[in-house]
Amino acid sequence: MAGPARADTLDEILERGGFTWGADEEGGGPFIFPDPADPARRTGFEVDLAAALAAELTRSLGRPIEARFCQAQWDKLPDLLKTGRIDLVLNGYEWSPERAQVMASTVPYYVYELQLLARAGDGRFAAGWDALLGPERLKVGVLGGSAAERHVAERYPAAELKSYDGNTNAMGDVVKGRLDATVQDLPIAAFYGKEFPALRVAGEPAAPGRYVIFVRKEDGRLREALDRAILALRDRGALREIYGRYGIWTRVQEDPVLTSLPAATVTAEALTVAGFLAKHGRTFLEAAGMTVLLSLVSMPLAILLGILVALGRLYGPRPLSLALAAYVEALRGTPLMLQLFVIFYVFPAAGIRLDAFAASVLGLAVNYSAYEAEIYRAGLQAVHAGQMEAALALGMSRGLALRRIVIPQAVRIVIPAVTNDFIALFKDTSVCSVITVVELTKRYNIAAMTHPAEVLPLAAVTGLLYLAMSYPLSVFSRRMERRLHG
Amino acid sequence: MICVRNLVKRHGLQEVLRGVTLEVDRGDVAVVVGPSGGGKSTFLRCLNGLERIDSGSIEMNGTTLRAGLPPREEERRVREIRAHVGMVFQQFHLFPHMTVLQNILEAPVHVLRRPPEEARARAEALLERVGLPAKARSLPHQLSGGEQQRVAIARALAMDPEVILFDEPTSALDPRMTGEVLSVMTDLASEGQTMVVVTHAMGFARRVANKVHVFHEGRVAESGPPEQVFGAPREDVTREFLRMAAD
Repeated sequence: MAGPARADTLDEILERGGFTWGADEEGGGPFIFPDPADPARRTGFEVDLAAALAAELTRSLGRPIEARFCQAQWDKLPDLLKTGRIDLVLNGYEWSPERAQVMASTVPYYVYELQLLARAGDGRFAAGWDALLGPERLKVGVLGGSAAERHVAERYPAAELKSYDGNTNAMGDVVKGRLDATVQDLPIAAFYGKEFPALRVAGEPAAPGRYVIFVRKEDGRLREALDRAILALRDRGALREIYGRYGIWTRVQEDPVLTSLPAATVTAEALTVAGFLAKHGRTFLEAAGMTVLLSLVSMPLAILLGILVALGRLYGPRPLSLALAAYVEALRGTPLMLQLFVIFYVFPAAGIRLDAFAASVLGLAVNYSAYEAEIYRAGLQAVHAGQMEAALALGMSRGLALRRIVIPQAVRIVIPAVTNDFIALFKDTSVCSVITVVELTKRYNIAAMTHPAEVLPLAAVTGLLYLAMSYPLSVFSRRMERRLHG
Repeated sequence: MICVRNLVKRHGLQEVLRGVTLEVDRGDVAVVVGPSGGGKSTFLRCLNGLERIDSGSIEMNGTTLRAGLPPREEERRVREIRAHVGMVFQQFHLFPHMTVLQNILEAPVHVLRRPPEEARARAEALLERVGLPAKARSLPHQLSGGEQQRVAIARALAMDPEVILFDEPTSALDPRMTGEVLSVMTDLASEGQTMVVVTHAMGFARRVANKVHVFHEGRVAESGPPEQVFGAPREDVTREFLRMAAD
């Protein structure tokens, strides 16, 4: 994405009178989150840090510079940096050799550690981290693509990893019993701990890592200016004051090794097709299998439900017909993602506890049943009224006439629309990643997160896999259509 | 066999049938004629319960329909009537997703629960009778209009109906195809099939009917044998209608 030779962004920042920093408010406290007192404002230690950096840069460069916030999805921040829409990524991004390959990193502004959290009184965790060594296969929730995920995967292969989009959902699921434990960055554990009184820290903080600011590789002078600003703030005690405000100051913040960058030991390994496939092939095929499985199980259910709803609306008694109309409107009028959230996170409160796969199937089937119902309603109405009359005149009951005469014709009419929906559902399975199902899109996001240098080939492979799965479906449905229309 | 008394049918505020009384005996070929909008088709559709009646009564083969029956009872009676009354529509309404043979087999097998083998033999015989033995495996859309209507007649006959109702069976057909269909109907009449026919085919009415009913504005304006109705009409309405039909 390196465009034509451009001046260091630092010059632009001086000209504009400010830098744009990217972060995700949804990631929550203590990093950046809506101010409880005024949700239109943002607060968090990174908000304070950005402001302190702007003030420090103003002082050292002698020109007014302000911090401008840009909201973006957390895992997409590096892409946004690359396109030039933000000048720096400042949002709990840990330094990693892979990231250092594609972005330039400042010195660490915070040293985090990983904290294991379990339910209070859960004896299995008396030994702290060692509980994860087995033999019991414990379920551990982590933020997808995070250092915590890598740490558990590498050190505790006996644990069953569940990958989450947000932090508090995993903590909540430990409370509910869906997970046995969760591993969180210490700031998160410290900040949200009070909201989950049922959780306790298990073992000591472990695996320290460095939160750094990332800038574009070519912005060497901007990086240096930020480095100087961070060091100045640290020397003056300003960092300690900010972190103290959020209860996340720890002793390791003074560790001379941890507060500087490790030597860049990584030599960029050449990217070969064989190496790429060996690294990602299995996980991507598994994820694609999950995508197919979700589609193949949900769609028939959606069609069946849809037909029943359509029949009820058209031929049922009036109260039923009205109730079903409301069903269709409610489901069409709210996002699938919200419905999945409700099924996965709210239903358990009512005693309905579904695992992620079952919840996904239910969500997809119910959501799409609303669309199928409308398609079938239109299809049933498109069958000439004379067909029903001819069937009735031959002595058939209404039910038999529907089953033998009207529905088979409606099915032929709606095939193109249903196929279309099947392909849409097939792609919508990616939404299920919000409730910890790892399907193809989620797998891509995870891989892109851990291997930022391979984003392009990963995206291409993901796209090809989707196409390879949906195209046969199109061909199949075209054949069906031709066959049914004789 | 059919006894209709003071039949009234409304569509919304409009009274389509305003007290129709007539009788059809076993073996009768009753032809209903009259200007469009006179209620002929509505009358026919009331006879097998495709339209609900607002007042009066219909007795078909010993089963009586009238307004205000409990829904369950009404449904039961309508089904009973339909089991013995066939219907042929202007637009044929063959089942497009089934072959000709399947169209004819459908009701005997699924309503009367006849053994499929027996039903098939009978269906083939019926196709022979309407002159289409070679079309058993065709789909309806591969047939001409006249052929489709003959299949529709075979489909009705497969239920061994006491009465067949014909709702303008030739109005959607050109003259040649009309001839095919009318000749099948004439054969049926000569075999003693009881028929109620709504039609504009005056030649057929004149030759085949033994009773002609002239409908006008929801009432029976005149009834009688064809030679009387066509030869010496008593009512102005009939004369006017016949003059228009002759044009």
